[in-house]
Amino acid sequence: MADPDPNEDMHIERLEALDAYNIMDTEPEPEFDDIVLVASTLCGTPVALVSLVERDRQWFKARVGFEACDTPIEQSVCAHALGSSNVLVIPDLQLDQRTRANTLVTGEPHIRFYAGAPLITPDEVVIGTLCVIDIQPRPQGLDEGQKAALQALARQVVALLEMRRISQRKDDLFRRQKTISANIRSSVNASLAAQEAGRIGTFEIDIATSMMRVSREFCRIFHVPIAETYPTRVFEDMVLPQDKGLQSDDTSRQQGDAPLDVEYRIRVPGYGVRWIARNASFRHDEAGRPVKMIGTVRDVTAAKREAARVQALLDVGDRLRDLSDMESMAIAAGDLMARALDATRAGFGIVNAADETVSVPPEWCAPGVKSLAGLHHFRDYGSFVDDLKRGEAVVIADVATDPRTRDHAPALLALGIRVLVNVPIFELGRFRLVAFIHHDQPYPWMEEEISFVRSFGNRIQIAMSRVQAELEQQMLNREMSHRLKNTLSMVQAIATQTLRPVAERGLVEAFEKRLHALSTAHDILFEQNWTSASVYAVVDRTMNGIGMRDRIDAQGPNVRFGPKGSLSLSLLLHELTTNAVKYGALSNDTGRVAIDWRIEGTGDGAIFYLSWREIGGPPPREPERKGFGSKLIRMGLIGTGGVLVSYDQPGFSAEMTAVLLQLAQAD
Amino acid sequence: MVQSTPPKKQAVLVVEDEPLLRMMAMDLVEDAGFRAIEAADADEAVTILETRTDIRIVFTDIDMPGSMNGMKLAAAVRDRWPPIEIIIVSGQVRLSEADLPERSVFFSKPYDWQKVTATLHRMARH
Repeated sequence: MADPDPNEDMHIERLEALDAYNIMDTEPEPEFDDIVLVASTLCGTPVALVSLVERDRQWFKARVGFEACDTPIEQSVCAHALGSSNVLVIPDLQLDQRTRANTLVTGEPHIRFYAGAPLITPDEVVIGTLCVIDIQPRPQGLDEGQKAALQALARQVVALLEMRRISQRKDDLFRRQKTISANIRSSVNASLAAQEAGRIGTFEIDIATSMMRVSREFCRIFHVPIAETYPTRVFEDMVLPQDKGLQSDDTSRQQGDAPLDVEYRIRVPGYGVRWIARNASFRHDEAGRPVKMIGTVRDVTAAKREAARVQALLDVGDRLRDLSDMESMAIAAGDLMARALDATRAGFGIVNAADETVSVPPEWCAPGVKSLAGLHHFRDYGSFVDDLKRGEAVVIADVATDPRTRDHAPALLALGIRVLVNVPIFELGRFRLVAFIHHDQPYPWMEEEISFVRSFGNRIQIAMSRVQAELEQQMLNREMSHRLKNTLSMVQAIATQTLRPVAERGLVEAFEKRLHALSTAHDILFEQNWTSASVYAVVDRTMNGIGMRDRIDAQGPNVRFGPKGSLSLSLLLHELTTNAVKYGALSNDTGRVAIDWRIEGTGDGAIFYLSWREIGGPPPREPERKGFGSKLIRMGLIGTGGVLVSYDQPGFSAEMTAVLLQLAQAD
Repeated sequence: MVQSTPPKKQAVLVVEDEPLLRMMAMDLVEDAGFRAIEAADADEAVTILETRTDIRIVFTDIDMPGSMNGMKLAAAVRDRWPPIEIIIVSGQVRLSEADLPERSVFFSKPYDWQKVTATLHRMARH
């Protein structure tokens, strides 16, 4: 067992030196392997080691004839060599006090002979040994030549360590250099990227010459070759026709009244439409005349499109809510979609998947772009219908090169389609609609834009389904109304035939007119899909039907009745009018009838009042016989009374009341 | 009801596929003082119009089987026999003026007997 060295400072120096060499636990290196090989040969020992001694263990940088790559410090013989600059030779380890209890001596591999030359750094710190070991004792030890050679090899080991350290330091410096320059590069790139994302270019226009100095980024934003100066016209000509006038020109610059902060679109060949935000200010001479216009430009296309997409999704609900036919919906939706995507054409087609055809209603087209409305066969334009049928969105960046369309490119290009986007919309698992967007210039499509089109398509489809359902309901209502009226006609015909022998024709006519009043009430209800009718409409139509509308003054608040209330009111008005024509204010040429209604109270307790007041007729008198008409009147608005009639001057009047809730009920 | 019988009885062609309704319309026409001639559909009506010259008014339903409905018949009458007056009746709720041929009058079914009679008389006087 090794004696613990009392000199702690020495330990620390050694550990620091080892640390500085950065050698511990590194891979074997041939230079060191060669040295141990030479040492073992030189000394005729089976084992030679470069042993580096730490606090708790010794580790072998190179070894020959020894299995372990390190051992605990208790097994280290080398530790005893650290205190001296001379070679330590122990001829028989079993006999030496310092080593006879060492487990490498007492047990496997039973080492007996040791000789170690200390590894001394230029700072005179001993960090370990170059040692040779034998399992035979060697009483004669090493000869002087072997000792000297072992020391020389030990110095060689240190020299290698030193070289290694220096080259490592160089590597290190080099690595550090590389890291630093990489950092510099990446920070430069980052700022370039930031500039790219912000895309801020600068310019300075000399107003007198219409020449402008531009930054490199300015050139990149406008996609022109990088140069220091350009005539202003180059950039003015790129502005889209619909945005002309937003950019400055010679006149507005000379007068100094060009708007300073504007956003306009430019068309860049090969890149399509880009949005430019330009901020500028004028420099004036002593006389106050503008001489220079300087400012910045930014490419705000991405932000603009993002905002447009959000806006389109917000607007689509509002725009479609009030539309009731698929065509105007397709146009409105196409318009929103085209704006969000700067398209030349956008819309929806109704698909017949079996025939592989699409029927295109009038779509949204950019100014000067021809509509594609009509029937088209997908296969006339390529094979992409296969993808659509599988439910996949089709994005063709260039119809001339995409394998799905290149054979049909002339047909597409003739229609002004360079970029083609088709998004299939499925309903109940069937391919029903296709949303399409066309660009006549290349357009870089982004994933967000595809998903925008898809979600937009779904919204359209929902809205169109609603319209479809409404149309079907309307048709059903029309059919129902038609049948009802035919049935009433049959009743009329049967009655006419049956009542032919009846001498009193007045009764037959009265019946016929009541039937007619009923039919009129149905008409009004039909127009409101059998849900409700306004009181005014019922009064207006009923009185018109009888031909007495111009002798009626009708007024009251806007109230709606349900079907039952409407029919009841219509029949009541008919009876009142018939009586007025026979006996009351409408029996002469000048009398009139005032119909007024109002509501009192609110909520469930609200009461509907309707008054019928005749003036200008002959003196009123109560009829002697109560006919069906009078009975009908006395039954009131909901068949339960609530009617007050008066035959006092100036003429017949009736006041009718009913709970509004009952009149407004759906059935 | 005003009964003004024209001096010489003019003929009204009643076109209606439903027998009961046709019967009623014939009664109406005769009560109004006209001679009623019947046809069960538009094709029969055209045949009659091609063979007779005394038809003054055509009174037709819209929804009828056959190659023509009442609207097409009315258009054909206006085209081929311009002097003939036209009355169109239907259970369809409303027709816009634009759908009707010139000088034709529309009545919604069930129609007002008196109003139709008055219209027949007005047309006959022209």
